[in-house]
Amino acid sequence: MTRKKVKLAFITNDSARKATFKKRKKGLMKKVSELSTLCGIDTCAIIYSPYESQPEVWPDTRGVHRVLAQFKRMPEMEQSKKMVNQESFIRQRIAKASEQLKKQHKENREKEITQVMYQCLTGKGLQNLMMADLNDLGWLIDQNLKEIYKRIDELKKTAPPPPPPRPPPEAPQVTTGNLHLLQEQKPAVGLTMDAMQRPQWFTDWMNNPSDHQQMNSFGHGDEMMLSFTDNNHNTMWSNAFFP
Amino acid sequence: MAKKPSMGRQKIKLAKIEIKNHLQVTFSKRRSGLFKKASELCTLCGVEIAIIVFSPAGKVFSFGNPNVESIIDRFFDINPSVNPSSTAFHLLDAHRISSVRDLNLQLSQILNEIEVERKRGEALENMKKNSQIQHWWEAPVNELGFHDLEQLRDAMEELKKNVSNQASKQMFEVTNRTTFFDSNNVGVFDQYETKPTQAFVNSSAAAALSNNFGYCHGFF
Repeated sequence: MTRKKVKLAFITNDSARKATFKKRKKGLMKKVSELSTLCGIDTCAIIYSPYESQPEVWPDTRGVHRVLAQFKRMPEMEQSKKMVNQESFIRQRIAKASEQLKKQHKENREKEITQVMYQCLTGKGLQNLMMADLNDLGWLIDQNLKEIYKRIDELKKTAPPPPPPRPPPEAPQVTTGNLHLLQEQKPAVGLTMDAMQRPQWFTDWMNNPSDHQQMNSFGHGDEMMLSFTDNNHNTMWSNAFFP
Repeated sequence: MAKKPSMGRQKIKLAKIEIKNHLQVTFSKRRSGLFKKASELCTLCGVEIAIIVFSPAGKVFSFGNPNVESIIDRFFDINPSVNPSSTAFHLLDAHRISSVRDLNLQLSQILNEIEVERKRGEALENMKKNSQIQHWWEAPVNELGFHDLEQLRDAMEELKKNVSNQASKQMFEVTNRTTFFDSNNVGVFDQYETKPTQAFVNSSAAAALSNNFGYCHGFF
C-alpha cells in the first residue's frame, strides 16, 4: 500500500476523486463493521455520493432503519449531545490537541528549569536569567526543599543518623563530586574547607558506600524522576509556570 | 516522566472484546478514528455522510456532513423538494467547506507543534539522564543518604537566597528604569537626583518577591 501524504483538500481530478472515494468508502465501511463487532454495539452508516443514485449503507437497509429507529427513540437532548458535523468535530480535536500541547509545554518547562537549577547549584551564574525564570526557579527550589526536609525528617525518625559525616566538599574545581555556589557569594557554613583536606574528602566520598550505594541504580528508567513531579503535578505548576 | 511505549500495531481477533476496560478504550479510540476518516472522506470527495454509533454505555454518538439530521431526513425521503443545484445551497456549501479547511489547517499546525515539543522533551530527558550519572545530587530525594541530603539542603538554601537577591536586584533596576549597574555598583546612585531610600530597598515589592515564589501573579 502506497504511503504518499495526501493533502486534505477536495480532489479536483474527477477520476482520482472517484478512485479515492471507492477505496476510502470501502475502508470506512470496514471500520464501522469492526467497531460494531469488537465492541458489541449497534451502528450504521449512510453515504450519498454523485456516483450512485441510492445511498450506500452499512449494515444493510433493514439494519439502518433499525438503528435510526433506535436513535429517534432517544430523547432529543441525548441525540444532540454527542452529535457533530465536520466543523464541530474538528473544533473538538483542536481543543484536545491544544490541551495536550499545553501539558507537554509545561512538562518541558519543568525539565528545563530543573536543569537550570542544577547548573546554578554547581556554579553557573544567575545574571542571564529573566524574571520569569527566576520566579520559576525559586519556586522549584522551594518544592525541592520541601521534599528534602520531609525526607530528612523521615530518616531522623526511622533511623538515627550514621556516625560523623565525612568532611563537606570543597567549593571550587572538582567537577564531579561537589556542590558550590556563585563565586560572588560567600558559600554557606560547612561548604568550604581548607585545601589539605581535599584529597581525604574525595577519597572518603568515593569509598563511602552508605550514601552512594544508589549510584548503581542510575540508568534505570522511571526512578530517575524527582519524586515531587509524581505527587503534585496537577496543582502546583499552574501558579509558577503559567501566571 | 518517561513515556510508556505504546503497544504498536497488534493483530486483533475480530470478536467482541472480553475485558470491559479494553472494550471501552477501544470503543473510544476507534469511534474517534472512524469520525476522522469520515471527515476526511467528506473533504476529499465532497460526499454527504451520516454515521450513528451507540456506545457500550448506551449513549449515542453521531457524525454527519453537512449534518446528521438532513441525511436522516433524506434517507427517509422527507422534504424531497430540496434542490441541490440552487445558488443559496452552493453558497452555504462554500462557506462550510472554507471553514473546514481553515480548521483543518489550524489543527495540523497544533499537531506539528506537539511533535516539536515532544521531541524537545525527549532531548531534555536524555540530557537529564546523562547528567544524573555524573552528579549524585540530581538523584531522586528518596535515594539520597542522610548526609548527602543535608549537604544538598544547605546548597539549595544558599541558592534560594541568591535567586531572591538576583530577583530583587532586577526588580530594582526595572523599577528605576535604569541603565545597568556598572561593575563597581555605583552607577545608579549617581544618575538620580533623589537617592533611593532605605524604605524603597525594603519595599513591599522586594520583600514580596523573596517570600512569594510561586505566587507571583502580580509581576507579569
